[in-house]
Amino acid sequence: MPSVILRDTKLQGNITQKDSITIDGIVVGDIKAEEVIIHENANITGNIMADNNIEVGGQITGDLSSDRIHLNNTAKVKGKLFHKNLGVDEGAQLEITSSTRKKITNNNKE
Amino acid sequence: MFFKSDKKSQNQIDGFSHLGENLRFEGEIDCKGEIEIAGKVKGNIKAKKLRILETGSVKGLVQTDDVEVLGHMIGNIESQNIYIGNKGVIRGNLHFENNLTVLEGADISGHVQKNKKEKAKRLDTDKVKYLEDNRAAS
Repeated sequence: MPSVILRDTKLQGNITQKDSITIDGIVVGDIKAEEVIIHENANITGNIMADNNIEVGGQITGDLSSDRIHLNNTAKVKGKLFHKNLGVDEGAQLEITSSTRKKITNNNKE
Repeated sequence: MFFKSDKKSQNQIDGFSHLGENLRFEGEIDCKGEIEIAGKVKGNIKAKKLRILETGSVKGLVQTDDVEVLGHMIGNIESQNIYIGNKGVIRGNLHFENNLTVLEGADISGHVQKNKKEKAKRLDTDKVKYLEDNRAAS
């Protein structure tokens, strides 16, 4: 079952998840997963590395790397983006440098 | 849009956080509500209600109001109510204030101590005795 972190929860440290993780809380630390979904109440300080997909609706300070990155209209992102596909909705607040790569390697697989 | 959702976040939260089977986490957890752990966690946990599921394993100090251990737990527990399921494994001390429940089959090694509050004393000492017997048996 995928993980869910609600907004009453604060995690300090590194997270490694083999499938999907949904975050609506506060995370200080790096996140590695197959898919990361960040909701609008989330506040993340740290790098996010996903194999497939990152969906952002909250605040992030840190680098993102994934095959596909989608920034929703509530997203606030500060950092570097590495991606194959990038989507940005109207209203997203960004302070980013983004670069498209042919291949994203995260070495998440053990 | 942002402000609207901020207002909402002050209100109560339905459900609870869940750390899945495939999750590994090292660090501190601070949860104001309920949290369920099915993965591996190394580090201290503070929560109102914590449930360690059968596949879950926790290493570190646990400070909660209610804790339910159905999986593995290494470290001390400080909680008002402690519940240990029949497949629960605990290596560490238990400090509780109200109730301690241990099901048959639980595996515990460590000290068990009741802190403060005098309510339901007798009941609890019976449980402690039971627990010690249980420990001797295992």
